Amino acid sequence: MRFQDAAPDARAIVYAGVQRDPLVARLAELLERATPPQSVLARAVMNGERADPDVWRTMVPACFPDERSEAILAAALEVADHGDQVRNQLRGAIVEAVTERLLRRRAASSGDVRRERRVLFDGVRSEIHPYDVTLETPGAAEAYDCKWGARGISADVLHQLDDARRHADDEEQGLVVGLVVFDTRLACDVRLGRTSAPHEGIRLITIERLGALAEGLAGAPP
Amino acid sequence: MTETVGELVAAAIEATDALGLLAEDVEDEWTFVTDLVAAQRARLAAIADRRGEESATDSAAAAVASAADETHLIADPHRAIDWLSTFPDLVAIALGEPVGG
Repeated sequence: MRFQDAAPDARAIVYAGVQRDPLVARLAELLERATPPQSVLARAVMNGERADPDVWRTMVPACFPDERSEAILAAALEVADHGDQVRNQLRGAIVEAVTERLLRRRAASSGDVRRERRVLFDGVRSEIHPYDVTLETPGAAEAYDCKWGARGISADVLHQLDDARRHADDEEQGLVVGLVVFDTRLACDVRLGRTSAPHEGIRLITIERLGALAEGLAGAPP
Repeated sequence: MTETVGELVAAAIEATDALGLLAEDVEDEWTFVTDLVAAQRARLAAIADRRGEESATDSAAAAVASAADETHLIADPHRAIDWLSTFPDLVAIALGEPVGG
């Protein structure tokens, strides 16, 4: 098993610009240590229609007054101020950036956490899509796909993750595979409840327990 | 007049149903939407079963009303799907319940 940078296609080049948007880094830093209600606040605002911050302070009173909540609200409103296409791109990039930041907290070396990487196995055709974030600790690697919502969990995604896990097992290499979903476990369970794609061996990290990425995955069962 | 938790949850279930109707317009996601609506209804109903007679705080009532108002502004069925998972959590947080149920 080995990791390799994905060859950048046109989509990736455009998306790299989105990933570099300072707003993405700002929100990722704030959400890295957000409470679950603060994460729900961020999700709601980035999904929302109204731009008046007082509306959101009223809607999530448990988060206010609080400095981090105010910063999250201001940044999330900036995301919501974009049209749907850019908003969607920013949201996806934010989930990836939060994942990267959380994994870095337990990486032995900052270089172990990478973005847009393929996982290659001997005698196996390489996968089409790169993994969003990888933790490439020798002997204990992890590969994650990141989703804004449970709706992003598709059979293709599940098959790719499960295939990688099985191929790593075949090579007697440790590879944890997971989905980081900025949505509730309930919504993800509903999504997975109807799929015939394999998901028993795929870790699921949801909005209630994003911190599990930094702490180790005991709190993020398959 | 002070509202009860049960009354707030009833309003939240009504708003959840309305989001579901809008979200069903995304035909490929019909099953997911109907399953998610059913799961969220059950979750909210469980709160009402436990605490329905309890008086809600003014801030909880205002929070649920504001969240329900936001759902009424959602016109895009794709965004309605996102709100189907988010809105019940806003209600739960307002009522002092944990995120995710």
